[in-house]
Amino acid sequence: MKKNASLVQSRQRSVRIAATVFLAPVILIMAIFIIYPIVSTFSISLFDWNGISKNREFIGMENWKMLIHDKVFWFAFKNNLTLMVCSIGIQIPVAIALATFLDAAGRKVNLFKVAWFLPLLMSSVAIGFLFSYALATTGGIITTFSQALGGGKVDLLGRAPQALYAVISVVAWQYIPFYMVYFLAGYGNIDINIYEASIIDGATRGQYFFHIGLPLLSPMIKSACILSLIGSLKYFDLIYAMTGGGPGTATELMATYMYKLSFTHFKMGYGSTAAAGMFILVTGFALMMQTLLKGNGSSNNE
Amino acid sequence: MAVRKFFVYVLSALLVLAFTAGCSKKSDGDKGSTISAEASSTENAGFGVSSKKMTITLWDIATEDPTKSTQESAVERFMAAYPNVTVDNTHIQNDTYKQKLIISMSSGQCPDMYIHWGGGPMNEYIDSGFAVPITDLMNEHCDVPFLEAAIAQSSYKGDIYAVPFGGIGGSGVFYNKTIFSKLGIGVPQTIAELEAACETLKNAGYIPFSLANQNKWTGSMYFMYLATRFGGVDEFNAAVDGSGSFESPAFQYAGEKIQEWVRAGYFPDGVNSLNTDDGQDRQLIYTEEAAMMLHGSWQAGSMRNDNEEWYVNNMDYFRFPNLASSDKPQNIVVGTSIGNGFSFNIHDDQEKLDAAFILATQFYNDDTYNNEQLATGRIPSIVGMGDTIEDHCMQKIWADFSSASNVQLWYDQYLPPAVGETHKNTCQEIFGLTKTPAEANAELNKAMREN
Amino acid sequence: MNNNRVKSNIAWTIAAVLAVCWLMVTAIPFLFMVINAFKGQFEMLQKGVFELPDSWFPTNFIGVLENGFLSYFFNSVILLGICLTILLFFTACASYPLSRMKFKLRGPIYALIVACMSIPIHVTLIPIFKMSTVIKTYDSIFALIGPYVAFAIPISCYILTTFMASIPASLEESAEINGCGKFMTFFHIILPLSKPGLSTLAIYNGVAIWNEFAFANTLTQSRKAQTLPLAISAFKGEHSMNIPVIMSVLVLTVLPMIILFIILQEKLVKGLMAGAVKG
Repeated sequence: MKKNASLVQSRQRSVRIAATVFLAPVILIMAIFIIYPIVSTFSISLFDWNGISKNREFIGMENWKMLIHDKVFWFAFKNNLTLMVCSIGIQIPVAIALATFLDAAGRKVNLFKVAWFLPLLMSSVAIGFLFSYALATTGGIITTFSQALGGGKVDLLGRAPQALYAVISVVAWQYIPFYMVYFLAGYGNIDINIYEASIIDGATRGQYFFHIGLPLLSPMIKSACILSLIGSLKYFDLIYAMTGGGPGTATELMATYMYKLSFTHFKMGYGSTAAAGMFILVTGFALMMQTLLKGNGSSNNE
Repeated sequence: MAVRKFFVYVLSALLVLAFTAGCSKKSDGDKGSTISAEASSTENAGFGVSSKKMTITLWDIATEDPTKSTQESAVERFMAAYPNVTVDNTHIQNDTYKQKLIISMSSGQCPDMYIHWGGGPMNEYIDSGFAVPITDLMNEHCDVPFLEAAIAQSSYKGDIYAVPFGGIGGSGVFYNKTIFSKLGIGVPQTIAELEAACETLKNAGYIPFSLANQNKWTGSMYFMYLATRFGGVDEFNAAVDGSGSFESPAFQYAGEKIQEWVRAGYFPDGVNSLNTDDGQDRQLIYTEEAAMMLHGSWQAGSMRNDNEEWYVNNMDYFRFPNLASSDKPQNIVVGTSIGNGFSFNIHDDQEKLDAAFILATQFYNDDTYNNEQLATGRIPSIVGMGDTIEDHCMQKIWADFSSASNVQLWYDQYLPPAVGETHKNTCQEIFGLTKTPAEANAELNKAMREN
Repeated sequence: MNNNRVKSNIAWTIAAVLAVCWLMVTAIPFLFMVINAFKGQFEMLQKGVFELPDSWFPTNFIGVLENGFLSYFFNSVILLGICLTILLFFTACASYPLSRMKFKLRGPIYALIVACMSIPIHVTLIPIFKMSTVIKTYDSIFALIGPYVAFAIPISCYILTTFMASIPASLEESAEINGCGKFMTFFHIILPLSKPGLSTLAIYNGVAIWNEFAFANTLTQSRKAQTLPLAISAFKGEHSMNIPVIMSVLVLTVLPMIILFIILQEKLVKGLMAGAVKG
């Protein structure tokens, strides 16, 4: 008995040592480049500061009070939530479908795999330019279709509710390839013996997919949801490139608002408050989602 | 181990690609031969560049020719004349320039000499101690007869803080003269005539104004001109200093007129979705779907650059028409009289400041520099400078500028940055008909008062 | 059985049609970029952006290559190589204990990683710029290694942890019974089996690093240190940009990534894991 206990102890110690060694570099890098800036953002949020002056005035929680009553910030947050719901709802199912097709069809559709991957490669400059013509009210693709079907011109980027959804579609177009590759790798990770066994048992590919493939993929689907959630809540690029937050402030996101406050409005203190607020919201949502998904069904993390 | 091998594989593949894709030699770093031109200034006794070894860091936004070569040549001539001074010249692309400047200022790495556009941001730089006053230097050691308006725009609280060098930037209406003459439309002198011309154009199937308002500042020009024609600069100044309001009649008129024109179909469909950086406004002009474009004077250079022959044959320019019913001066130009200015972040080193000042006034702004500016369609902010320009649109732009009783600086540059942003947003909503002029102006006024 | 086959054929036909539709949605915009790279600015604006170019002579590409494109390119390649190597190795190290060991701080560390994913990058620009001037890496590609690796780590650990967790425990246990320590197990069992996950990470982070703009723009200023995304800025003026030239820069920028993807995607094919275990 005693020998056993000490074995357990020494096992635990070796696990602790191994974990420390394996995790140390990553934690160190994150501490320098991420955790330190987070802390400094929170401290700047307590000041009235234009971002460049040597004098900054300590104002305590004033910025935070202002943020709580800032209509633009909460409106932007609402836009972020819309983006989040749409992103998870569109990107992940489509990506699963594409990955399943590629996995089932195998090597003969490699061309598809490469072509479907292209959107992720295009920079936001190219995408912004491309879609400002493709979605143009006159001569754009959607308008052309609409007119061919007897409809009128469609103004997608210049009107309030549509503009947001138009950009959300473009964001989905850009990020689906990432999740596609992610799920494809997930399929690649499934033990080939499981697939072979199920085919020998007489399962069709469809049955294999619904009864075996998808459940085995579920841990990855869950983490994809978290990634998509975080990505949507801190999204910046395409909105800034395609609408600049407009028309008016209709497509403003938390990140674009924070950026404008900090770097064009000379309100670094308040911009940092918005950033810190955003950080709290995003982390909170992500951890909440994480707990929710964990409680629901089998988790892989144990 | 396998991972490492696999990276070697990837990297070598990329390198092979690099060698096969490239057919040219590296040409960066090659700044061309040094031009040793004479400094065109007169000698001021006891004032000059000391023989001390110095390095001046200089930031500008001249990423593209012709501006790039014009400005680089000024720096090269300076360094040739004063070999003891090194100018460390960095070009930063305009879109992210302000961000980069803020970051460097905030970290104590502000360059010695940097470009800005005057207005609200310049005042912030000054207030934060990143620009030294150069009033004495300007009065005693500068022979360049800068336009009065340019000096005014370079000043803050009674001191001069910047040397203009980018040339004036006005705005007005570029129009397709071929379409105008085909339809028998004359150059409109009043806003009523402009509206009549719009009707004629519309009935003939043209879009009267090409406007890409996703960028917001483009549509702001209509608002600024209409408000200025109605109320002059006084009403704007009063709204800014608090003695008046953005809810006053001039701004109300501007908003209502814009919405009237939107409803009448004077602008392209989806006006708020078109992007001027992507060239969607010029596209409508080039395809001859639209006949007029209210835009900045730099468009003359852009269009000439795109297709000189087409531009010369088809495009012309007129100033924004008068409002007949107004008793305010009707010859005010909306734009900027400095274009770009240099401010100096040199605090305890008078010799270095003198050297930088000489660079800015005797090499930038000398004859060679000015002639290169003129040759590429920019007019330096110097008295009499535009008289020799050859571009037919720029001649008219200069004529308007020289005879203007006042220059209304772009709102989004003049106003405190956050208020400027509000103006651009509300103005875009006026175009989108999603806010009434009254709502938009009330919002702008509130932003101004809260700032 | 026969009925099943008919059903399966119908399903495949529908799938193939949808696949081709999606192919158009993804590939046509790309072709659009390529086509416009061959045009002149006026030609593009006057004739419309959807028309074919007048000439297929690569004027813009030659101009771009002659204007120092290769120096940006090599900076990007070197940076990508360094960052991916560091990133993948450290990520794999960190994901191993997070996915396959039980220790007290695992939960908090996992939460920390999620929190680190949530930070908006623009607030870090000023602190990281200051750091780079203090440690004197400013204006060199080395200034970018730290932030690129750091900002890729949280999401990469997150992805790889999920991945490693799906490796059957039996393999690790049998290794331990054979006397392998944690480190041996990691290098000989876990790392080889994580190839599909590591490939995913290499693709995702490779693209992100290749296209990263905000840090590159903040932390470098001279041509000798600048990377490809800044090449776009170099071809863009204050009030105008020559769109076809920028499109050709973008096409040249994307090509290496396509090749990288073609190489790496092989790793994503099913069955590799079985092969690795048996071999």
